[in-house]
Amino acid sequence: MSKHAIIIEEFACWGCRACEVACKQEYNSVDADNGIKYLSVWPDGPKLMNGKLDFVWRVNVCKHCDDPPCAQACPVEAITKREDGIVILDYDKCNGCQLCIDECPYHAIRFDEEKKTVTKCNLCHHRVDKGLYPACADNICLAHCIYFGDPAEIEQKILEKRKARGGWGDILPKVITISRG
Amino acid sequence: MPEFRHSNIEREMEVYGYDSFVKSHCRMCHGGCGVIVYVKDGKVAKIAGDPDCPIAHGTLCTKGLASAQLAYHKDRLTYPVKRIGPKASGKWERISWDEALDTIAERILTYKEKYGPESVVFGYGTGRENEAVIYRIANVLGSPNVITAGHFCYGPRICTSIITCGTNPIVDYENFPKCIIMWGNNVTISNPDEYKGEPFSVALDKGAKLIVVDPRLTRPAARANVWLQLRPGTDAALALGMLNVIVNEELYDREFVEKYTHGWDPFVQRVNEYPLERVQEITWVPKEKIREAARLFATTKPAAIQWGVAIEQQTNCADNDRLLMFLMGITGNIDAPGGQVLNRTPNVVNVGQFGAHGMLPKDQFAKRLGGERFRLASRFAILQPKCVWDAILEEKPYPVKMLFLISSNPVITRANAKEVYRALEKVDFMAVADFFLTPTAELADIVLPAATWLEMDYVGDFWKRHGYILPRRKVIQVGECRSDHEMLNDLAHRIGQGQYWWNNFEEALDYILHPMNTTWKDFKKMNYIRGEVKYYKYKEGGFSTPTRKFELYSTTLEKMGYDPLPQHREPSESPVSTPELYKEYPYILITGARQPGFFHTENRQIGRLRELHRDPIVEIHPDAAAKEGIHEGDWVIIESRRGIVRQRVRLSLGRDPRIVAAQHGWWFPEKKDPGHGWHESNINILTDNALESCDPAMGASNIRTLLCRIYPEKKASYEKKE
Ligand code: SF4
Ligand code: SF4
Ligand code: SF4
Repeated sequence: MSKHAIIIEEFACWGCRACEVACKQEYNSVDADNGIKYLSVWPDGPKLMNGKLDFVWRVNVCKHCDDPPCAQACPVEAITKREDGIVILDYDKCNGCQLCIDECPYHAIRFDEEKKTVTKCNLCHHRVDKGLYPACADNICLAHCIYFGDPAEIEQKILEKRKARGGWGDILPKVITISRG
Repeated sequence: MPEFRHSNIEREMEVYGYDSFVKSHCRMCHGGCGVIVYVKDGKVAKIAGDPDCPIAHGTLCTKGLASAQLAYHKDRLTYPVKRIGPKASGKWERISWDEALDTIAERILTYKEKYGPESVVFGYGTGRENEAVIYRIANVLGSPNVITAGHFCYGPRICTSIITCGTNPIVDYENFPKCIIMWGNNVTISNPDEYKGEPFSVALDKGAKLIVVDPRLTRPAARANVWLQLRPGTDAALALGMLNVIVNEELYDREFVEKYTHGWDPFVQRVNEYPLERVQEITWVPKEKIREAARLFATTKPAAIQWGVAIEQQTNCADNDRLLMFLMGITGNIDAPGGQVLNRTPNVVNVGQFGAHGMLPKDQFAKRLGGERFRLASRFAILQPKCVWDAILEEKPYPVKMLFLISSNPVITRANAKEVYRALEKVDFMAVADFFLTPTAELADIVLPAATWLEMDYVGDFWKRHGYILPRRKVIQVGECRSDHEMLNDLAHRIGQGQYWWNNFEEALDYILHPMNTTWKDFKKMNYIRGEVKYYKYKEGGFSTPTRKFELYSTTLEKMGYDPLPQHREPSESPVSTPELYKEYPYILITGARQPGFFHTENRQIGRLRELHRDPIVEIHPDAAAKEGIHEGDWVIIESRRGIVRQRVRLSLGRDPRIVAAQHGWWFPEKKDPGHGWHESNINILTDNALESCDPAMGASNIRTLLCRIYPEKKASYEKKE
């Protein structure tokens, strides 16, 4: 079974926020002026890091953890990890207790006031299962930093890019350590 | 398991059951990105990037992705209306296209008869690929007055590049520059004309070194090898300092300088007036950093400068542009692969020809408002907007009676907004074409419903200088909306210009394409056409300038009576030029940093985009905030000599404590009164449009650098509104 992961190399992200709007497009009708989305981009900084001003963009999205703490926290087993690695939240099962929210180390779960369930990225599994890339990972990102596929291969690609940059971006995305953990 | 392929059109069609797809060319900004528009039941169902697009390679921005929400917006104007109450009363009545265009035509002819064609002023905002038709109708009418953003946006790059090296040098990302200076823009979230962020980003991923010139710490600045955090408005001094290093350390391209430049000796003399000590004092940038950046840029080949509009919205507009070109030039990067290329556009009727500039009679050309003062701008049919406001308000040197503004919201976007508002209130007759009833449109007599890019056929990027044209193909029709091109083609017939126009606009597209023996029908089937790609063209024919050289010393400016060499001029308000005022207004206010999702005043009614920025934000350093008793999230008052506005505070370490950075373009479509909050947070209430503050050659308004004070809004102090 091939592994499916979404990995965003935040070092390369420019904060253009196209991924957020692409997610919105996927999950809301064309007539809906606004609506839900499952990832959010936010500015981390400017702040002082080792005496130097730094500023990066962060992208909060479900990391589809190997051993997802959110699933363990859920009393009704609404969150499960598929064999291909995708962590799915079953909206029909979710009772809105919100116990998972605090457990997620990445703040990737939100409560939807209207639907009274939690929401999170299900890695566009309806697309993935049909051989399509997740909406946000389907070549819209100008930084080409939203990767979808096998985590080991993605890690390789990111390492190669880092080398080509001349060593820039030596912080690998957190997900890699977590998904190995 | 199926094989994954990006932008898999066939599978997308199959899985979602779309009826069809159309490849087109987005224009939520100036245009540029190739898109795939999926259609279901006659409606746009999804928008994706087109990987075959040679410009953005299938990547898209927030605005492009939300185009359908613009097209189908519930507040959109979908039929012509005429005002039935006083100006800004919000009282409108639906009328037919015939009535609307006949009324406009009748007014044009009446004013032409009574006050001369120069009393009728056409206008647009930033370039939206309608400039050629607008100039055409004005020129054929005999009006020399077309009000645009050209005096301080892109126009200066065109004018100054033509007089320096023949055309606008465009970064050749295709051949991966190894060093890039990003000067006063952030191409990753904006779209400086020819450019999209993707190729820039890829060049960095290939290892390009990065130098960023910006008073704010943007992400590119944080990622840069060298960040030059200059005092706002001192770009020219900084560039002169870098040139000083390059000249005196002999890091320039000797062959280029000797064989292909004009005016080297006086240029060197001028550069020597800017030793690094002086430059450091002017710019606040440590001289070691200037030296480091100059060396890195001059010794890494190929190198390029990613430029944009910020350097143009200043008193030093034309010289800023020229100095950046000099940096490109003397380092040998002009027309070099991976440097900055003087592209050949495809062999089509160009914007200048289509704009019928040759048809404007000489005596009418001479009447261009402000033409005697801003001679470089005027040569290229560009005028200073204040000259129009003055002609309306004071009828000097002659009265302007009518405005026809297309895709323009000057009440928000032009300097000294209160004066703009007064002029639009006073003008005899005003027609506007737009998507919504904007604060500007609310002052009009007739408003015409404009088509979005999804609703038109056009030769996309026809005005740009990156060497490509790309077909924009009509996908949908919304209400009675018409493209700017179609409505002006129709209007032209009604004012007796029929012989210079076409039966329908498709014939005009054929006309644009005819030198290539191509028709719109054929072009529509192509992905794009590219002009001939050739480097170092100057080695054969020289540059297209009066001396056939790259003009460091401008013979054109000299003839026009300007300093032929670039210099640093202090902004009209600054700690240096107005120290007394600086005591009263102790912060330097910079404006206009771009926000993803917005395009100047646009898109604030589109929920998905507005969500990205609910409120107008002013950034201030925590130390300054503490001094002023301001906290994160407060609504504050920003005040200049010209007025006050309110914005919300974000504390940020990413700028000098002496600098405050406010957003531009704000109005509030959700406010249903006809003003739509046009004056509440509109930063141009504060900016200055005095002719003395403008660039002397281009007439660029200095809207980027002024002095302000900032203090808590009494009621709102430290009560966080969410
Ligand atoms: S699309 Fe890419 S660059 Fe833009 S915000 Fe998302 S991750 Fe960052
Ligand atoms: S803990 Fe958070 S990041 Fe991990 S799988 Fe659950 S929701 Fe996703
Ligand atoms: S994978 Fe799909 S659901 Fe998850 S963030 Fe991306 S677009 Fe949204």
